[in-house]
Amino acid sequence: GRELGMLDSLLSLGGLVLLWDSVEWEGRSLLKALVKKSALCGEQVHILGCEVSEEEFREGFDSDINNRLVYHDFFRDPLNWSKTEEALPGGPLGALRAICKRTDPGPVTIALDSLSWLLLHLPCTTLCQALHAVSHQDSCPGDSSPVGKVSVLGLLHEELHGPGPVGALSSLAQTEVTLGGTKGQASAHILCRRPRQRPTDQTQWFSILPDFSLDLQEGPSVESQPCSDPHIPPVDPTTHLTFNLHLSKKEREARDSLILPFQFSSEKQQALLRPRPGQATSHIFYEPDAYDDLDQEDPDDDLDI
Amino acid sequence: MAAVASCGSGAGSTGSAVATASKSNVTSFQRRGPRASGTNDSGPRLVSIAGTRPSVRNGQLLVSTGLPALDQLLGGGLAIGTVLLIEEDKYNIYSPLLFKCFLAEGIVNGHTLLVASAKEDPANILQELPAPLLDDNSKKEFDEDVYNHKTPESNIKMKIAWRYQLLPKMEIGPVSSRFGHYYDASKRIPQELIEASNWHGFFLPEKISSTLKVEPCSLTPGYIKLLQFIQNIISEEGFDGSNPQKKQRNVLRIGIQNLGSPLWGDDICCAENGSNSHSLTKFLYVLRGLLRTSLSACIITMPTHLIQNKAIIARVTNLSDIVIGLESFIGSERETNPLYKDYHGLIHIRQIPRLNNLICDESDVKDLAFKLKRKLFTIERLHLPPDLSDTVSRSSKQDLAESTKRLGPGCGMMAGGKKHLDF
Repeated sequence: GRELGMLDSLLSLGGLVLLWDSVEWEGRSLLKALVKKSALCGEQVHILGCEVSEEEFREGFDSDINNRLVYHDFFRDPLNWSKTEEALPGGPLGALRAICKRTDPGPVTIALDSLSWLLLHLPCTTLCQALHAVSHQDSCPGDSSPVGKVSVLGLLHEELHGPGPVGALSSLAQTEVTLGGTKGQASAHILCRRPRQRPTDQTQWFSILPDFSLDLQEGPSVESQPCSDPHIPPVDPTTHLTFNLHLSKKEREARDSLILPFQFSSEKQQALLRPRPGQATSHIFYEPDAYDDLDQEDPDDDLDI
Repeated sequence: MAAVASCGSGAGSTGSAVATASKSNVTSFQRRGPRASGTNDSGPRLVSIAGTRPSVRNGQLLVSTGLPALDQLLGGGLAIGTVLLIEEDKYNIYSPLLFKCFLAEGIVNGHTLLVASAKEDPANILQELPAPLLDDNSKKEFDEDVYNHKTPESNIKMKIAWRYQLLPKMEIGPVSSRFGHYYDASKRIPQELIEASNWHGFFLPEKISSTLKVEPCSLTPGYIKLLQFIQNIISEEGFDGSNPQKKQRNVLRIGIQNLGSPLWGDDICCAENGSNSHSLTKFLYVLRGLLRTSLSACIITMPTHLIQNKAIIARVTNLSDIVIGLESFIGSERETNPLYKDYHGLIHIRQIPRLNNLICDESDVKDLAFKLKRKLFTIERLHLPPDLSDTVSRSSKQDLAESTKRLGPGCGMMAGGKKHLDF
């Protein structure tokens, strides 16, 4: 239902999408699967290839997809030593800006393979500024934008970067997909940051078929944290106690009507002011023993004051 | 004789009659009449600008921050000439709200605004300001929110601890004065208020061309441009007193969003020992100099959780006047903690200035939490249970585990991160 669609609709949200992979779970196949999906939707797809050769990237795609991809090759000659006509001015960033300038109406997907390569070769601030400018072209609110929505898909290898660039790029991204998995099953943890709303996250299990189409799955049987054994019912500690934890209704009423010692209410005032009904309510019994002197005279009579 | 003279002059001018009368006056005391316009030898006059009031503590002129609860915590408001720094929360959801309340307060009071951002166009920021709750409606809205918030248990009168009922409550009711206003976060400010206000915007990508050659100077070009822009506005519009014939004085409210992020061209969030690590601190120093000599107040939001070098954060704190940190519970383990279930995050007041004073006006409430209700942003006191020794040691174990995970396969320089472990 709705949850399965999150990985599908990654690119429809637009903006910057980061794809974090690691040594155990590689991300290029997911990148190629998303590229194929947007090419099939009829969007313009541009690839900035820096890490692998063009032949390797195009491998596995059938010919009509390959014809739709616009490939900018920065792998063969990254420093532009050959100085040929095909050399793109301004390097990868120049190519990014050029893509944005000549955008025809219609959504555009730009896939960066890989953004890690760009981060290692370019200053981080320049890259951040360029990515922000590219992914926020349609920043006018309420405008259905004659310029199409731009999605930038960047592949990042998380072990290559320190916490600084990671944090900086994460704060710019609209969506972050982190690859992981267990027992041979790959999963994508998708974190979606919308501008003024709480971020939402979701984990989606998937696998990539040989023709780079995306197969969404339900995930292995034990997915979330291991729960307790269902055969043993949870123990209620309030049973079999030697003292009473609850109050009955009568007891509660009696408690509520109790007057506390430091409260001075009118009843207490009356009780103190009322004269005592009977004085002779207590007696003292005394048995004199042999040493007592029961003299009725007052010893103070001898004093002459 | 004097009487004969005055009769003789008949319909003489009153001035001469007064002059003769005053010459025969017994006492030398003279009543000082009201001066029409301020001259140099008049007595000290209180500057009365809309939306400001003098502090009861030290006489500084204060402006409201847009949140009356925050004003109360800061000792009445934000003093003119000072910087309010807000450390953003991790996903940047609540700090823009404080930023916008500050600007909205400026519009409602008729102050001039200067909005600077590298991320969003200032015109768009102004479109999204919250609508003010005006006096008649505000009491109804406030009461309705408070009523919805109160749970049945809290309505029981305290019986045993009855002395605590006499303590003053933390929240203050709606104030229908001209100083602080309440804002409705779910509605937008009416368009005519924005159009009636005077504002200047600074959007970095427009001001700086992408192929600008970066000279090896001490300030990032973005910061230099921003400082020049601020200085131009201050001197052109006379906020620093350079235009004496300006009759009505006004306050300039400056808002700078996401200062220090890579979009400003500053790399303190990207690397620990960048090339321009003093750029931000120099900017703040010059900015504070500009503010102190003009009638302006500034709010800055900064993503300090991204800054890699902790020493820079300490320097930035020292160079600002008021520093408030927002910590939201989203994504942390506190989100599910029942202790914090009513709130969306914590507010830490990290610094309050001592302006012309030996002591600072700190409130005695240190545990503060905020929540964003449907309409209002409220700050309340958080009652924490006593800190038992189990939880203290458990959290420190968690920190250790986290830091060892970060070290990983990266080399020493890249793995600086949170804890600086020396090998």
